[in-house]
Amino acid sequence: MRCDPFSRCHPAVNFAFFAVAIVLSVIMVHPVYLAVSVICAVLYYIALKGHKAWKVIGAMIPLFFVVTVLNSLFNSMGDTVLFTLFTRPVTYESLVYGACIAAMLVAVLLWFLCYGIVMTSDKFTSLFANVIPALSLILVMVLRLVPAYGKKAKQIAGARQCIGKSGSGTKRERLQGGVTVLSALTDWALEGSVMTADSMRARGYGAGKRTTFQIYRFTMHDGVITVLLLLFAAVTITAIATGAAQADFLPSLHIAALRGTLSICGVIAWGLFLLLPTFLHLREVILWHNLIYNI
Amino acid sequence: MKRSLRTGLRFLILLVLIPLTLYLCAKADRKYYLSSLVIIVLTLSAFFLHFENRRPQAREMVVLAVMSALAVASRAVFAAIPHFKPMMGIVMLTGIAFGPEAGFLCGAVSGFVSNFIFGQGPWTPWQMFAYGVGGLLAGLFAQWGILKKVPARGSDFAVLGIFGFLSIVLIVGPLLDTSTLFMMVNTVNSTSAAAIYLSGLPVNLVHGVATLVTVVLAGRPLLEKLQRIQIKYGMME
Repeated sequence: MRCDPFSRCHPAVNFAFFAVAIVLSVIMVHPVYLAVSVICAVLYYIALKGHKAWKVIGAMIPLFFVVTVLNSLFNSMGDTVLFTLFTRPVTYESLVYGACIAAMLVAVLLWFLCYGIVMTSDKFTSLFANVIPALSLILVMVLRLVPAYGKKAKQIAGARQCIGKSGSGTKRERLQGGVTVLSALTDWALEGSVMTADSMRARGYGAGKRTTFQIYRFTMHDGVITVLLLLFAAVTITAIATGAAQADFLPSLHIAALRGTLSICGVIAWGLFLLLPTFLHLREVILWHNLIYNI
Repeated sequence: MKRSLRTGLRFLILLVLIPLTLYLCAKADRKYYLSSLVIIVLTLSAFFLHFENRRPQAREMVVLAVMSALAVASRAVFAAIPHFKPMMGIVMLTGIAFGPEAGFLCGAVSGFVSNFIFGQGPWTPWQMFAYGVGGLLAGLFAQWGILKKVPARGSDFAVLGIFGFLSIVLIVGPLLDTSTLFMMVNTVNSTSAAAIYLSGLPVNLVHGVATLVTVVLAGRPLLEKLQRIQIKYGMME
């Protein structure tokens, strides 16, 4: 996503943002904090995907209800019995608890979808090239080899078609055909692997520090965003540490009310933290429209 | 990162961080989900740091990359058969041919990369761990001599197929179901656990059968090829 300003930030900023957003969404089972997380995730996902986002967001609604209902069926603890279903009492408390868990699941899934768009594989491997050099190189190779093998498999299947082995027919024939293609592919891939490894050694693999293809610089802009994110995260975490996001559901509801400066600041900071990428996106869209408008 | 730093980090993870997580999460809300997730991530990190510290040879890394890529791409090879997932079969064959560590890494990397295609999610660490364990077990059983490096007789194939099926239905599948259980359910009790594991059973059975078919049909050609490359180039012994 090159038209999203947050995606153009340094990968470390991207990764840290999603790590904090997802971990805090999982830790806090407080309805207000979760609602903020879901709303911000929806907004950022729409910012990233445009009108295509609605299909996924629409699919989240039934998921939310199914998980809510399942959770309240699994758990019959709670003081206020609403009704009895299949001899199991369904309580108000477990319904609320179930809804919170479902909201958490939806929030985490949406944040992961955004993560998948923003943190592309090249960003991931370049970010971790220093910590796990061998594994990140393996990842780079696998990510390149998978499409190559797919293509080669198609070629092999095509060659087999020419001798009358079409790969269709009964299930047994299709399986046998698949195994033959896989076997031929393995042979080709392993021979190639030895070539690659020898070539790597000849070019001095392991002789020095490995560099990455993309060069990401930590700019002033990244610094400003990092400071803002750190500030918001610090306020949120302080609020959580003092119990502002405390919520007990069973056997009776004890949800921390939004009272006092710190607890309100906590929610606002949490919202600002999560909205920052969407805000950057909107700012650029508005700027772009103004520029076009002025022409 | 320095080598000694990585060793230190590994001991820190195993001796301090994992017990600390267990202690801290025992009191937290959603303790099962948080503690299990943290421990799985830490275990994976410890394993990866150990691999990095060995300073693996280029040949070893390339073979691992090739086997992981084959495992991921094999799904496309069998696209003509719906619901057929041969990935774990290939991960297991890698474990049998190259040992438990290679099996674990191949499984973990394949799980991670296939999620680049199908979408990352809260299940990613669990999937990496479960697939890794599948490869690791295959490697261990081969080291103990229960699984043959190159199956020849009918009984070898039977053992291989039973191992593939049971390890998916009893270990890899339930591990993935556990992640669903901890993720979707707020209170883990016998009802919710039974509901999740039972609803996962049909999926695991289909996956187990696919693995059985893969290891039995592709076992001999693939293992022969892997052994040939080991003997010819003297790699990963």
